[in-house]
This record gives sequence, C-alpha cells and structure tokens, in this order.
Amino acid sequence: MVEVSASDQLDYYLASLDELGEVLIDAEKPESVGKGILRLTLGTVMASKGAIFLYHRTKEKLSVLASQGLQERKPFSPPKKLIDQSGKHRHDHIKLDKIPPWITGELKKCITESAMKILVPLFHKDHMLGVLCVGKKFMDEVFTATDLKILEIIANHLTKALYNYELIQDVEEKQTQLNLKLLELETLFDISVAISSVLDMDKLGEEILWRSVGILNASRGMMLIPKENSPILEPVNKFNWEETSALISKRLSIFKKIEEEKIGIILTPNDKNTLQKKLGEDNIIIAPLQAKDNILGYMLLCNKETRHGVEAFNQTDLDLLSALCNQGAVALDNARLFKDITQAKQFNESILGSIATGVITLDPLGEIDSINQAGLGILKMNMAEIIGNHYMYLFEKDEEIIELIQRAEIKNATHSEINMSFLTVSEEAVVNVSAAPRIDPDGDVQGLVIAIEDITDVSKVKNTFKRYVSKQVVDELLDDDAKLNLGGEEREVTILFSDIRGFTSMSENMKPEKVVSTLNEYFSDMIDIVFKHNGTLDKIIGDELMIVYGAPISADDDTNRAVKTAVEMQEQITRLNKNRKKRKEAPIMVGIGINRGIVVSGNIGSRDMMDYTVIGDAVNLGARLCSAASPGEILVSPTVWKETKKQFSYKELEPIKVKGKKIKVGVYRIENVS
Amino acid sequence: MSDFSLNVREEGDIVIIETTGYLNNVGGEKVSEACYEKMDSGKKHFLLNLEKSKVVNSIGVSILIEIIEKLQDVDGKLGYYNLAPIVEKTFNIMGLTKYSTVYYSEAEGLEGMA
Repeated sequence: MVEVSASDQLDYYLASLDELGEVLIDAEKPESVGKGILRLTLGTVMASKGAIFLYHRTKEKLSVLASQGLQERKPFSPPKKLIDQSGKHRHDHIKLDKIPPWITGELKKCITESAMKILVPLFHKDHMLGVLCVGKKFMDEVFTATDLKILEIIANHLTKALYNYELIQDVEEKQTQLNLKLLELETLFDISVAISSVLDMDKLGEEILWRSVGILNASRGMMLIPKENSPILEPVNKFNWEETSALISKRLSIFKKIEEEKIGIILTPNDKNTLQKKLGEDNIIIAPLQAKDNILGYMLLCNKETRHGVEAFNQTDLDLLSALCNQGAVALDNARLFKDITQAKQFNESILGSIATGVITLDPLGEIDSINQAGLGILKMNMAEIIGNHYMYLFEKDEEIIELIQRAEIKNATHSEINMSFLTVSEEAVVNVSAAPRIDPDGDVQGLVIAIEDITDVSKVKNTFKRYVSKQVVDELLDDDAKLNLGGEEREVTILFSDIRGFTSMSENMKPEKVVSTLNEYFSDMIDIVFKHNGTLDKIIGDELMIVYGAPISADDDTNRAVKTAVEMQEQITRLNKNRKKRKEAPIMVGIGINRGIVVSGNIGSRDMMDYTVIGDAVNLGARLCSAASPGEILVSPTVWKETKKQFSYKELEPIKVKGKKIKVGVYRIENVS
Repeated sequence: MSDFSLNVREEGDIVIIETTGYLNNVGGEKVSEACYEKMDSGKKHFLLNLEKSKVVNSIGVSILIEIIEKLQDVDGKLGYYNLAPIVEKTFNIMGLTKYSTVYYSEAEGLEGMA
C-alpha cells in the first residue's frame, strides 16, 4: 500500500471541495449536479459504487438521480419509516454494515445489490430531499473519520443544491401555471375584443369553440344552438368531430337541468347519462351560452387531455368554460342583433329601392340624410347633390311643398297633397307629396320622411285621354295597365255614329264663328253623355261623332250603354233645340246608327300622327246605319237589337242595301225616342 | 376540423413537417415521433408549418418543449411558420418562443435555420 501523507490527504480533500464548488456552479440541471457530485464523492472517499436517490414529496417516490455500479430502475416507493428514521440522522450518516430494519423494499435491494456501506440522509429542515449511498471503499479499506466528515460536507452541499433546484423547479411549475392562467385571461380578453370586432355569427361561434377546446385541453367539442321551432339542438360548430348521427334534443334531462339552474355541468364516467351514450363519450363538460336570461345555446367539450390519457373535467374547468361562454354569449348576441339589424336594413332598403315613390328622410335639423333610387330619379339629381342639404334649399322653388313639410314638422303629423306642381324639376312636373314624422322606438320625433310620387306622366295621360274617354276609364286604365292594349288586336266592340242632318247647308247661312259655337255647344252636350256612359270618343269628323264601346276597355254592357247614349243624345238634342228655338235658331236634327261586331283596334296612323281607333266592316256598317237614319232616328243592326231588345223598344224596318254587302242588312229603329 | 395528419419532407439539412389538425396530445405525439425518427438519422433542424393547425393546447405545447430540449442536447433547432395569431400568442405566453423561432414564411425559416 502506498503511504499517503496527512498533508497530501488534506490537499486532495481541498481539491475535491474546490471541484465540488465548480460542479455546483457550472451544472445546469439536477441530473448534471447529481452525476458530478456522485463522481466527486466516490472519488474523494475512494469508493467505486454509489447512488443519489431523489425523493419526490408529491409522488412519494424515490428515483435514482445518479448512480454508479447500480442497475437502472424505475422510481419506487421508499420504506415507510425512512423519513422518520433517517430524519434522526439528518446531520449524520448511517453505516450499512448491518442494514437497519426500517430499510426495506426496493431501497434495501439497491443497498444489497451494490454493497452500499454508508447512507447519508439529505434533509433540508424537516423535508427529506433524498439519500446519498456510498459503496465499499477501495480495497475494502475502512472509512476514516475524515472520509465521513467530508461525506457529510458534500452531502450538505448536495442538499443545498437539490433544495435550490427544487425551488427552481417549483418556481418553473408555478410559472407554467401562471402562464396557463395568463393564457386563460388572454383568451377571455380576446373574446371580449371579438365582441366588438367580429360580427359574423358563424366565425364568432367557431372562434369561441376553438379557444375553449384549446384552453381546456379538450380533445373535441361542439357548439349547440336550438333549432327554431324545434327541440333539436343543432351542432352549428364542431371541432375535431366527425359527422355525428346523434340527435341531440334540448328535452334531454341534462339540458333541462342547465336551463333551470343556469349553470354548466360536468359528466364523468360514473354518471351514465343519456347524452354520454348518445355521443359515446364519458368525460363531458357543458356550459350554457347565456346572454341576460336567454340561453342562446350550449358549449359541449369532451375529454380533458393529459400526457397520460384523458381525465374528468373539474370545477375550475367549468368556471373557466362558463366565463368563456358568458363572454361568448354576449358576442354572439351582439352578432345576432347586428345580423337582424342588417337584414332589416337590407329589407327596408330593398323595399325603398323597389318602390316607384321617392322617399327622402330628414334629420331633426331638416337636413336630408337619405334618399332612395326613385327619389333620385324624380329629382333628376345624384346622391352627392342631395345628401346633407336642407330641404328648404332643395325645394326652394316649391313654396307649397316647403309649407307642407313645415306643417308636418310643427304638428308632428302626416300631411299630404296631391297634384302639386314641382318646379324643382320642371314646370310640367306634377307630384303627390306626403310628409310624415320619423319616430324612434322611444316615441321621439327624429326628423321627417317625405314621399314624393311623380304623377307627371299620369297627368299627361289623363290630360290626353280625357279628351277621348271618361275620367273613370282613364283611372281604370292607369290602375291596370293590363287592360290597355294599344298594340293592335281583334276585338268585339259597339260603334255609334251620329251626324247632324243638313248641317252643311245650314252652316252655309251662318257666320263661321256661329258655326263653331253651335258645334261646340252640341259636341259639349253630346260628349258629356258619351263620357257619362264610358264611351270612347274615337273621332269628330266635321259634325259627325264616332263613339266606341269596348275599346280600349271591354265590358259586358258595352252595347247597352251605346244604345242608352244614343237615346240620351236624342233627348238632349230635343232640349237643346228648345233653347235654340228661344234664341231663334234653327233646330239641329241628328241621325244615329249603332252596330256591334269584330274590329281591329290599336294605334293606327303614321309615325308623326297616330291615333287609337278601330277599323273594319263593323265600323263601316255603323256609319251606313247612321247615314240611313232619318233626323231624330236611332237605327241599329241585328247584333245590337239582339243584345238590347229586352231593354229597349224596337221596330224592325225593311233591310237596307249597304255598300260592299251583297245581302241586305236588317235594320231596327228605337221607338218612343222623344 | 378533425383527425391529425402530417407531411414530412426535407429541404437540404432542414426537415419540414406540415401538420393538419389539432396539435394536442395525439397531434403532438405524432410530431415528436416524426422529429425523433429524423433525429435518429442525424437531422437537427426542424421547421413546423402550422398553417393547418389552428388550435394548439397546452399538452401539444409541452410536447414541443420536450422536442426543443432533445434538440438542445444535440445543438439542434426548432422553428415554426404560418402560425395562426392565437397559436403564436399561446407559444409566446407558454415561453416556447424563447427557445425556438417563429418565422413568417418557409423561405424565411429555411434562411434563418441555415
């Protein structure tokens, strides 16, 4: 054996302690420290085998931190009395020449396997951090008192190092926990931001579901929304979930419970709920999406994941999910309201855009804040010229309209006027105007709505048509365009011709202005009667009138009205002649012919001069009957007689020869005409 | 979104792993398996394209941390690109971005890892 001097021994121990310092400073992980210290310890005391066991307080297991000459093994439970008994030696060592009876189990196996000689408990205050075991000394030498002292010194440093690492590990674990909490808070914050930024319901639902699944470590999830008018809960958003055929009803007891108690629920494998069977999942967490007292839907997540499989959700998970769902429900409710408002706005705009009436809205200051397309068309302006202007500026040429709006403003009531000239657009323009207060949901007036109906064209039509047909017919035509077919068609009509007998020779002895005034008086009376019976004044040719019944609008009593017209015309002429007699004027004698038959009706003429009229044999026969009628007579064709013989008294006359007809035509004369 | 899948390819010394689906326990394990297999064949630089993984949970994050630790032992690197904002935020909060790098495109990732 080589003699080692005390001085060399001291140098060696000092070098070991110096190296120990370096190990403690340089090593980054407990494993490195363990390996470094074990190597140093065994080297210092000249032992070949040894191990450092680490004690996990929470798991109550001993695991090998570092070993030399010991087979690898999994963490194992320490002997029951290890902590108590070794605690008595916390600043000491235990010799293992004879293994104490309280060292049992796997630890005892390790000691035996590697022939450990010394055990040093590693205690920090009352907490055991582990144990250091050292095998036999080189060449079976005896451990000296210095060896044992140096072992205790190293063990103390090892204890400090392990305690520090435990603290660091604890801090790191807490930091991870804090990070997770921060992530939860950030998620809640993100959802609160989404409330004001994401207005697409589907996107928002997806966002809330995804974040809930991620933050709760769920394996999958779905958002269930009640189907309208149905007990079915529809999975509107799903995550990590294939199509499910499971029909989920809100009548399931679990959803009823949530609805009643307004709180979420956790299902564990012990629950055996119907929903678990339907979904084929044991671990389920459900929270209501609740805005105010209204449950908009449910968030359902399955399987809380860990590194070692799935586990049941806990109350903390439910609290977090409920918080997420409460935030999410507000966001969803906002999105739903926004969707409703947008749809209502689009609906209103599409209505306003589709109607022919111009609609202008005024704010409380009288400035125009909106106008529909029809309004722009009526005003013949673009949007930029109108929006923001005051109505008094826009309608400055139309005092009557301004007054109408002001009346509505002052009285907070609807005011309307029809047939108003509209100088804002042109001298010819005619409009119907209505001004009504805009009332908000609180009942407060927030400006006015002005409706402008452009009736310029209608007015023109009326002015034009009223010369030919009665107001009633004009109105009927304007009410229903389908009745107006001016393009040319075959139709059955009744045609009335009247002619003043001998007017040409009579007018030869009259001054021209007298001729005109006589005809005007006569035509005025006659046309009044024609219009009274809704006849269409087709033509005035000299002193002849051509009236049509059944064009442009047909009626069942066209012929009856034509005959009535003729009778009243003759009666009026009798009255007219009485007045003429008083004025010492020659009487007017009129012959009238009426026929009914098929004609072609439509706008006939050249491009420059076109009139709505009827043509055909039936027209010609009417004119021939008129020619054949004596003064004061009304002659009708067989078709007219057949239709009206029950209403009027007729006398059948000798058939007459008509130009263009080989066979003579039957003629009937109305009797008892005054 | 369902079922996790991945596509592995190599660009020179860099292994690109494109994931699809939930990066959770299942997804994370698949990524780590793919990484360790490539590490066994000597690869040390990995880029994850997470464009089609919009959700990552903390288990997925812990598996990525394990991958980073193993790569650190061999002087390797892990990077990511095409991260959804929520995923990038999670990585930041959980401290992943201290030990691995977020890139904004594959090209940037390849250049950064070269």
